[in-house]
Amino acid sequence: MSPARVPVPEPPARTARQLREATSSALRRRRADDLNPLRRGLRLERVPDPCSFVLFGATGDLAHRKVMPAIYQLWRTNLLPAEFSLVAVARRPYTDEAFVAEVRASVEAHSRVQPIDEDAWAELAKRITYQQLDFGGDAGFDRLSKRLDELDAERGTAGNRLFYLATQPSQVTEIVHQLGRVGLDHELRGAGWRRVVVEKPFGRDYESARRLNHELAKVFRESQVYRIDHYLGKETVRNLLVFRFGNGIFEPVWNRSYVDHVQITVAESLGVESRGAFYEETGASRDILQNHLLQLMTLVAMEPPSSFHADALRDQKLQVLRAITTPDIEHVRHDVVRGQYGSGWVEGVAAAGYREEPEVDPESETETYVAGRFTIDDWRWSGVPFYLRAGKRLPKRATEIAIQFKEVPLPLFRDSNGDPAPNVLAMRIQPDEGIMLRFAAKVPGLGLDVRTVNMDFDYGTSFAVDSPDAYETLILDALLGDASLFTRADEVEAAWSVVTPIIEGWATMLAPRFPNYAAGTFGPEAADELMQRDGRRWRRI
Amino acid sequence: MAPNLKSPGVLHSVPDIERALAHLWAGAAAHRGEGERHVAARSSVLNLVVVAGRRETAEHCAATIEATAGRHPSRSLILSALDMEGRPGLDATIGTVSVATEEGTTQSGAETVYVTVHGPTSNHLASIIVPLLVHDLPVALWWPREPQFDTHRADRLLPIADRLIVDGSSWSGDGLDRLAAMARVTQGRRLFVADFALLRQARWREALASFYDLPDLRPHLRAVRSITVEFAAPEEDDPSGLTNIVRPVYHVAWLASRLGMNVVAPMRRLPDGSRVATLRQGDHAVAVQWRPVCSDLGEGSTARVEIVSRLRGAELVGDVTAGDCTVEVALHDKGRERVRRTYQAPRLGEVDLLERALEDSVSDLVAGDALAMAGRLIAAEPTPRGAVERRRSRDHD
Repeated sequence: MSPARVPVPEPPARTARQLREATSSALRRRRADDLNPLRRGLRLERVPDPCSFVLFGATGDLAHRKVMPAIYQLWRTNLLPAEFSLVAVARRPYTDEAFVAEVRASVEAHSRVQPIDEDAWAELAKRITYQQLDFGGDAGFDRLSKRLDELDAERGTAGNRLFYLATQPSQVTEIVHQLGRVGLDHELRGAGWRRVVVEKPFGRDYESARRLNHELAKVFRESQVYRIDHYLGKETVRNLLVFRFGNGIFEPVWNRSYVDHVQITVAESLGVESRGAFYEETGASRDILQNHLLQLMTLVAMEPPSSFHADALRDQKLQVLRAITTPDIEHVRHDVVRGQYGSGWVEGVAAAGYREEPEVDPESETETYVAGRFTIDDWRWSGVPFYLRAGKRLPKRATEIAIQFKEVPLPLFRDSNGDPAPNVLAMRIQPDEGIMLRFAAKVPGLGLDVRTVNMDFDYGTSFAVDSPDAYETLILDALLGDASLFTRADEVEAAWSVVTPIIEGWATMLAPRFPNYAAGTFGPEAADELMQRDGRRWRRI
Repeated sequence: MAPNLKSPGVLHSVPDIERALAHLWAGAAAHRGEGERHVAARSSVLNLVVVAGRRETAEHCAATIEATAGRHPSRSLILSALDMEGRPGLDATIGTVSVATEEGTTQSGAETVYVTVHGPTSNHLASIIVPLLVHDLPVALWWPREPQFDTHRADRLLPIADRLIVDGSSWSGDGLDRLAAMARVTQGRRLFVADFALLRQARWREALASFYDLPDLRPHLRAVRSITVEFAAPEEDDPSGLTNIVRPVYHVAWLASRLGMNVVAPMRRLPDGSRVATLRQGDHAVAVQWRPVCSDLGEGSTARVEIVSRLRGAELVGDVTAGDCTVEVALHDKGRERVRRTYQAPRLGEVDLLERALEDSVSDLVAGDALAMAGRLIAAEPTPRGAVERRRSRDHD
């Protein structure tokens, strides 16, 4: 006979309040353990975890001109942990010493702070190793994986690894696949984090961007992927967020009721320089419109995020990109203009035409200028055109966002001398970063003459200090795991879904007669006509 | 770049100063030299009032302020006093400063009003300062040398200010009475205190904080058993007790305030020249010791900080020592060296210190907590007689 089962009493049910208290106390404990209270009030309230920084394409131009000077600067200012190692990876054979010597020369040439701090450099140099590796071969990645494990043991890098792909775009998929094959993507509990930084371009159209995202997603989770667009790391672009969301007075007028239209300009006085081959494959639409211009547009048009956490910010940007009217062929024909510069004069110097540049096809139909009229279909912006333009070999270098407000409902001063122009709020991103507000003022005197005046705020007049390089900001953010200033996969695809129809539309249309603007002018006449048709004109920059 | 401008002569009243300021900026805006930038708008970010006392102090402060003008364009009022017994009145001159960045792309304008007061006017500095402040901008009050906190002057000046800037490490004697007075008079006011003595320790604080950036060591922050601070003194036992120890006290005050400690037994001085105190963290006591050591470092400088914690029988010893341009960190976990790192951390000059003093915000709260804790730590510390006498002789500054 089996013994009678003794009923086990149920544990007393915890009240909702007890549960809440238990949870919040656990959360408080976790927060206390997550944060270092001694860092409160210091430059960084968090510092990067011990880690290995694996730089693919370490012998390339980007690594030498941007990434390594940024790493040096972060190290010099004690923003990297002591338990840090940099594994430089490339195809060419180097010894550690030869690579360090070469990098040292690059840092000397490109560091924004001179001269080089010898002691700091010596400490950093001790942490740099070089590994020759054929991106297509398995053996090299097996060795890399083993080397990283050794470094964890030797230098206490704790299994945290950041893979920075400063390589040709065509090599990204191959490297990511190999990292996955050897298990370098795995974030096991307590075994450290793994992140991958990918440089733009993120594809060359919607389909290729999707494919690239798909390939990345086969190996890494989206939260591990940091798509770097250095433009978003610029101090000035971050200031745009502060301007919009740190000042309450603009929000009430930041909508279709008050804004007539928005102009965003990215003008460069330079030509393609030594990047002819690259530019032939991209053109202004892929190089500037798909990323820089659309990113600026999202920052102007986005709804206030609920916080500055990465996904809160990126969700709002994504909403804007998805609300941009997808251009159809008629839109492309009428509302988008492309141009290519011919020879001319820029800043007093004779400039060759695009087709005469090195590595450029003499019959090239690549656009060096793009301008377009875009609309956002949401409650805030419905009916407000956004005019975007970007070009090379324009008369000056300037990046600017201008919000033009509607005219006053009743022009009381129509009969006075000098009819006041509508208000404009212009944010200059570069150079001479600042904010300008145009408004009407009475000219002193007995009459009622009205004149338009600019109230001009230069960041330089308030803060005469040099800003950190965008790469310093972004690399530090990636090491800290803050993805706010990096582009998410769905953002990239949404941006391509705006630009790809334009590129495909052009492919079916007869190209304009290139070159159609002279170097040193503000772009093709068609761009002016685009504005004139709407009764507007481009701002003089 | 716009030129530096000066007022035409010596001014003798507040309205004269106001008129001269307006005239100077109108002149600057009209200036359009070849290759120079037009000053389209002037941006001020704060008022900086300096109670300089002596003329040489005023000149020294003016040079420091000029070097910070690029980052903190401000209206600076530098006040010094002459012949306290003479006729009441003031003499003032004005200068503007324009600065370009290294890239030469930007510039900034700042203005400095030098005011020398005579006779009884020197007891009414606030009546000169208030009308000359730029409207609606924060006011930083820089009180170099020996501020007098328990005086009529302090009662009138402190309410004007949003921020008080001092250098506790330059105070006479051990500096502790004055530190306690500062903690007392600033308590409950909306007044942030930026003490160069604490700001100088940023490099130490970063080094100490770095021990606990390693997540597995963070629980040790709740298990600190002792804090030892060694400071440079003329002799190993600091017999006079007159070495200024404001900086070493701040070390402990900062740690104690960040780590939620309470004062059980305030600081007291031992016959060997060292000082001790007892803190409590949770359910355990924390022994604190300040020990004078012979050192090449300047008197009162911190030479070494050691923190010992014990958690579930495992002892962690963090040790930080400093040189002129470096800070060395060593961490021993259960007797085994876990971390050793040398930070490049040059000492901050006065220009750096003033810049930080003017712009810190989050750290203001941290500094406020540290100052309040310092006040509690030194509550019962008697000041050596010599220090009192020396201070009396300087209080007329």
